[in-house]
Amino acid sequence: MTANTGTLLAVRDLTVRFRTEDGTVLAVDQVCFEVAERELVALVGESGCGKSVTAMALTGLLPASATVSGEIGFAGQDLRRRSERRLRAIRGRDIAYVFQEPMTSLNPVLTVGHQIGEVLRRHQRMRGAAVRRRATELMELVGIPLPARRLREYPHQLSGGMRQRVMIAMALACTPKLLVADEPTTALDVTVQAGILDVLRTLSAETGTAVLLITHDLGVVADLADRVVVMYAGRVIEEADVVDLFARPGHPYTRGLLDAVPNPARHASGGPDPAAGQGLREIPGRVPVLADSPDACTFAERCTRTDDTCRTRRPELSAGPAGHPVRCWHPLAVPASSLAGGGAR
Amino acid sequence: MTAALETLPPPTTVAAPASWRRALRRVLRNPLSAGGLVVVVVTLAAAALADLLAPYPYDLTNFDATLQPPSLAHWFGTDELGRDQLSRVLHGLRVSVAVGVLSVGLSLLIGVPLGLLAGFYRLLDPVISRLTDTLLAFPFLVLAVGLAAILGPSLTTATIALGIGGVPLIIRVARSETLRLRELDFVAAAVADGAGDLQLMRRHILPNAVNALLVQATVSVPAAIIGEAVLSFLGLGVRPPIPSLGVMIASAQPLFRDGPWLAVIPGLAIVLLTLALNLFGDGLRDALDPRESR
Repeated sequence: MTANTGTLLAVRDLTVRFRTEDGTVLAVDQVCFEVAERELVALVGESGCGKSVTAMALTGLLPASATVSGEIGFAGQDLRRRSERRLRAIRGRDIAYVFQEPMTSLNPVLTVGHQIGEVLRRHQRMRGAAVRRRATELMELVGIPLPARRLREYPHQLSGGMRQRVMIAMALACTPKLLVADEPTTALDVTVQAGILDVLRTLSAETGTAVLLITHDLGVVADLADRVVVMYAGRVIEEADVVDLFARPGHPYTRGLLDAVPNPARHASGGPDPAAGQGLREIPGRVPVLADSPDACTFAERCTRTDDTCRTRRPELSAGPAGHPVRCWHPLAVPASSLAGGGAR
Repeated sequence: MTAALETLPPPTTVAAPASWRRALRRVLRNPLSAGGLVVVVVTLAAAALADLLAPYPYDLTNFDATLQPPSLAHWFGTDELGRDQLSRVLHGLRVSVAVGVLSVGLSLLIGVPLGLLAGFYRLLDPVISRLTDTLLAFPFLVLAVGLAAILGPSLTTATIALGIGGVPLIIRVARSETLRLRELDFVAAAVADGAGDLQLMRRHILPNAVNALLVQATVSVPAAIIGEAVLSFLGLGVRPPIPSLGVMIASAQPLFRDGPWLAVIPGLAIVLLTLALNLFGDGLRDALDPRESR
């Protein structure tokens, strides 16, 4: 976990609190994780567990009601110590974002080409025909047919999938070192999702851009990520290679997330009725909203393995039975089948 | 089902004017706003071409034909100096429209930047908003009288006074639009792309606020025209012999018994133009409403 030469992003003890009308809310609690150059890391967890806040905090995009502490090391500098002006130059050039809502993330009164061009003009100081050429090239890169014509169109003339491709084109315009994709496919049809994921995968491989993928969709994770960081109630609770995580989850919450994914193979083996036996299982309850970091496991209220220790002492992130870091007092044992080297996904 | 199909956006053609052409089509579909648009266009054309259309010079006196009621020779009659009312209404219209448009332009020039700043920066908002309230609370006529005392009564004075008087309303519209727009996803996305405040306001917020401001302007122009009439009626605006609709009504007042048409016709012109602009503005607002364009 120490910073080696290939580390691009190193987040250390990132803590974010929000002032609200009902007191402060702890959204991110001492989060640590790293992204290596060219690596595809997924930040996973259900809604409200602090994933997006973490992503926004990277370049200081949180509103004024947020208090942020910790270190955000990026390419040899601490972004937390950078002025707003310096951060502005980093946003869109070194760290680019793709958001969840392609339908509303484009300005309705400017043409697509204008909006891609704006990024190029801002960060690359490109002008005139060079902008148009590069924009066309980017549109082609993200798989938009008839790019030269599409450039002259307005967002409302494009479908959701096409708009998300435009967003990706904008994000990749300056070949950033890190692309933060916050639920990039959540708002899209399943068939369109696959296309977008394809684009993300090939482009990050081609341009050498590292990707921080934020999602609650484990199918997307399995498809795309090299490594997975699981978050729950503002804390990182498990971190592992994607194969490792799917085969040998250590935290009951991770197990729960995996069980909550519809899996045709499991249903088939579990009998004709998915409700019986091996069916789709959900995790009862919801993510707690915390005012402060409790000296306890934040998952204790929803966990089946809870005992007094879980409720009174804070678990630390330490190597679990499968070898990767887990934040749990009673991590799950490694299933025998996976020791035999078999069933990864 | 067919209704749903009809409301779909037209297939991709030329992009930029498409939404405008669609808005125009929607304005014309509503008979009230279409009528308003026609009257506005005809009036503007008549005002612009006053020199060509007017049968007589507006200040040509004819003491052989004073206070003539409307006739074939003088469609709108003549005044106490025998001047042709039609010619004077046409020229007066030109003055009134010019004052209306210029003063609203002045309001926009001052109000839009202030409104954007107030909506964008939380710290500036109370300052600018209190300024707006103060200006609103300050009697407009006192402001106009004060300005006339400083600059002397003239067309320019009236325009400036009306322009300043209209600023608070524009600030409010621009501010509320900014408050609404800056919360939207595409503004957040632009911030994440590294856009600075000025770029956000200029490229992302202002272009999206244009619709609301445009509609406000179509309502403000008739208000300014009436305002000019009031100021000129009180002797704070245009001075005779230059006609404006307000001046004409003012000078017709003592003659109302002998020549009621002298007051009624310019009054009707103001009413008609105001009504037309309001109807067109209403229609334009509906046509540009994104909820209706679904």
